Amino acid sequence: MTVAVHKPHPHDSAPLHVSGKARYTDDIPAPAGTLHLAFGLSPAARGRIRRLDLAPVRAAEGVVAVLGADDLPRPVDLSPAHAGDEPLLATGTVHYLGQPLFLVVATSHLAARRAARLAGIDIAGEKPVLTIDDAIAAGTDLEPPLEWRKGDAEAAIAAAPHRVRGRIEVGGQEHFYLEGHAALALPLEDGGMEIHASTQHPTEIQHKVAEALGLPMSWVRVSVRRMGGGFGGKESQGSALAVACAIAAWKTGRPCRMRYDRDDDMIITGKRHEIRIDYEAGFDADGRLLGVRFAHFLRCGWSTDLSLPVADRAMLHADNAYHLPHVTIRSRRLRTNTQSNTAFRGFGGPQGMMGIERVIQHVAATLGKDPLEVRRVNLYRPMAAVAAGEAAQTTPYGQPVEDSIIDALVDRLAREARYAERRAAIARWNAGSPVIKRGIALTPVKFGISFTLTHLNQAGALVHLYQDGSIRINHGGTEMGQGLNMKVAQVAAEAFSVPVEAVRITTTDTARVPNTSATAASSGSDLNGMAVKAACETIRARLTRFLAERHQCPEEVVRFSEGRVHVGTNVLTLAEAARAAHEARISLSSTGFYATPKIHWDRTRGQGRPFFYFAYGAAVSEVAIDPLTGETRILRVDVLHDVGRSLNPAIDIGQIEGGFVQGAGWLTMEELAWDERGRLLTHAPSTYKIPVASDRPRIFNVALWDGENREPTIYRSKAVGEPPFMLAISVHQAIAEAVAAAAGVPFVALDAPATPERIALAVRNARAGENAP
Amino acid sequence: MYAFEFVKPKTVEEAVAALREGEAKVLAGGQTLIPTLKQRLAAPEKLVSLAGVEGLRGIRTGDGVVEIGAGTTHAVIARELAGAVPALAALAGDIGDPAVRNRGTIGGSLANNDPSADWPAAVLGLGATVVTDRREIAADDFFQGLFTTALEEDEIITAVRFPMPKTAAYAKFDQPASRFALVGVFVARLDGNVRVAVTGASENGVFRWQAAEAALGADFAPAAVEALAPPPAEEMISDLHGAGDYRAHLVKVMTKRAVAACG
Repeated sequence: MTVAVHKPHPHDSAPLHVSGKARYTDDIPAPAGTLHLAFGLSPAARGRIRRLDLAPVRAAEGVVAVLGADDLPRPVDLSPAHAGDEPLLATGTVHYLGQPLFLVVATSHLAARRAARLAGIDIAGEKPVLTIDDAIAAGTDLEPPLEWRKGDAEAAIAAAPHRVRGRIEVGGQEHFYLEGHAALALPLEDGGMEIHASTQHPTEIQHKVAEALGLPMSWVRVSVRRMGGGFGGKESQGSALAVACAIAAWKTGRPCRMRYDRDDDMIITGKRHEIRIDYEAGFDADGRLLGVRFAHFLRCGWSTDLSLPVADRAMLHADNAYHLPHVTIRSRRLRTNTQSNTAFRGFGGPQGMMGIERVIQHVAATLGKDPLEVRRVNLYRPMAAVAAGEAAQTTPYGQPVEDSIIDALVDRLAREARYAERRAAIARWNAGSPVIKRGIALTPVKFGISFTLTHLNQAGALVHLYQDGSIRINHGGTEMGQGLNMKVAQVAAEAFSVPVEAVRITTTDTARVPNTSATAASSGSDLNGMAVKAACETIRARLTRFLAERHQCPEEVVRFSEGRVHVGTNVLTLAEAARAAHEARISLSSTGFYATPKIHWDRTRGQGRPFFYFAYGAAVSEVAIDPLTGETRILRVDVLHDVGRSLNPAIDIGQIEGGFVQGAGWLTMEELAWDERGRLLTHAPSTYKIPVASDRPRIFNVALWDGENREPTIYRSKAVGEPPFMLAISVHQAIAEAVAAAAGVPFVALDAPATPERIALAVRNARAGENAP
Repeated sequence: MYAFEFVKPKTVEEAVAALREGEAKVLAGGQTLIPTLKQRLAAPEKLVSLAGVEGLRGIRTGDGVVEIGAGTTHAVIARELAGAVPALAALAGDIGDPAVRNRGTIGGSLANNDPSADWPAAVLGLGATVVTDRREIAADDFFQGLFTTALEEDEIITAVRFPMPKTAAYAKFDQPASRFALVGVFVARLDGNVRVAVTGASENGVFRWQAAEAALGADFAPAAVEALAPPPAEEMISDLHGAGDYRAHLVKVMTKRAVAACG
């Protein structure tokens, strides 16, 4: 029996969220005299700055200071990859339309923004590299193409009885966190700097601020209470604001704050990588994949940012849940004169999976089979079979898949969602429906859990037990609405066997827990939960030893149970135990640390065990399309998802629902558009459509797989942040099925997002026999 | 927003007089003008608010005519015309969001003549009459291209007079983010003729699709539209929300839907 974990506690901030009391970075009351910042942005996508006249900006009302690149104390590179290609302010050349050129420091947010528009800017423009085709033509690769090979794909494809080849193009995605980027810098008396920032990565901010000011990291403190959504968009992209605030605060000696207006946020910051995937597959009459080749082309934007690991993760998920005996994956990471694409929920994984799921759909259509049949014959060998002595199958990068439950999970979902029966009914319905057509698809997810940069898989914690029995926890993870703090508080409560209300959750603070990794890669609970558990266990062990000594009994009879400390037949409250220990001069505070075991990875060779374990899931989506207008409705979705033994089923189901809807938005309605000059045209909710409550599936059944992580993770749970995002691939596949039905053809190569326009034109073109590619 | 003078006259005559002095603009519901000022895309010296002018609001029906005061909000029209002219009520009730519907007015929308606005389709589709402080303008003469109308600089719309149709319907395909019409088609059967007006689609603003009017005049059924070629794609708007040929295709689809909705 557990007292706190495995229970559906509501999000600790839920009452604050819904009553408007939750405090975000820009809500923090600032001291009198605080200054406000805004960037002046490049009006051109590519070129050389001939003249930058900042005199009119300096003369504007309320302006206190204006800084160009030459006015910075030292050159500032914001690149999270230390690539040296991401200056805070443009240095001589501009690389995208919207790039910060100069920084305005003024007495109000509005004064700063107004003044930022007054500069005289003369740029000798060059033709920008905007699209994947432009970048291929110009050869703007960030690094030489990366290729991983397993077996001999070319020979296997050539020898296969059947072959398909094709291309899928998948658009990017704006993060659209409801709270935009924001930062506040408070200069300290001795030259140190205190920063509040809306960031998933406080240590990165600390590092970049220290570097920009020439200070040791110990002189910079960064804290974040919560974000209003991050989704990866606040992993690296928050550095610009925080560093700008720190430099301005250092120059003026006054507190400085900055927030991006929504349009500026969309114009300045990077998004999900757009991808093109060319594929070729050879297969047998059952649809078993014998050889597969993928060529990935990713639009990375103007700077390196996190593009290399994102592109790697796309390759790492090119197999999704399918065993590929012979496979070659080649990846090109292309620099373009657009926003610097960055982390976004799934971190390239969703893009990689779109490729193999398209292959499956293409294979099934070629053979005239139900795509689910083709999926089933290709799923990785089950964990049970491996346990019974069969060899584990390996991924394209050589990691044995020892924990696959995907076959049983898919079987249960197909049964419970009545997939076969509904698929047959839909076929009959379509035959009798002159206009509206339906489609259904079941797609699996296998998602690798761990940062692929192995050293990031560590976390620290600091736990205090006070004399009154109350507990305060600090850990390196950040709260962005995902419920991390509640899960970690449950872990602490469980350790002391007290109600979760006894645990106080605090702001994430680099002065309390140092050298943290970003809260990213779905790893927040896995890493920080374990670190907090270790800290709690240290304190509990000290209490145990002390109580055993005091009561002259063996340590084994000291038990923390149901809110009490039992010492043999004596029963104490935690407060009584803590007070007694304090009076006996026992430390009631401890750090804790965790490093993920077993993982190692060589990205150049594409070999190793980058992931501690895999999270699994599957979804059945049923959609209806109107081929005349191209409109779609998601009629019903059934999800069965593996979170191991859930730390908190309420929060996990919320993450699954939210991830699914966000994924469906990516694949159906969210469409980014740039003009031929490189200007982002979709920079506000009036032009960029994200899913809202009315866009959720009409029927939405989410269930958790009943099982536990075979690896010893925190209470045998599994990470949940990213994996459910990819369940929405089932929506895209179902739409493609419906489009094919509408056109009366077995297969339509549908790109993403499947907007009404794309669907209507796909139906029309397919009917006319122009089935691209 | 730049500084401007603000006046709030009590009569139409005073409003017209105020418009004649300096660079002035009429402020009705402000749903377009205020954002335009905020973005500094317009810099009038003076705003002449119609909020204090008596007699510009309200709906009168009778003698086969519906007359809507120019200052009547979309929300009021949606509510009060639901029984008398459902097509107009439905159109009004699907404009923007509740905030827009409770502030925005029919007169303001017509004077602005946004190529994606809904009201121009209804006014042209019903062959309504635009009543101003000095004259009456037939719908066919009123709309003169993107954001351009027959109105003089100092002329104020006071009302719009719609003939009661036998049947009418408006079919709109929303641009999903903004809910402006990507394509909106108003179809009306009047005494002796059929009118089809299209908004959202054309580079020249609202227009009558005369081929459809002729076909529907002979046979008022969706099938009559099915046989037609869509309007020329090259005359349609092509932008980030949709290419010209998609819009042309939607004109045909929405026309059929409007005809079907007429019953």
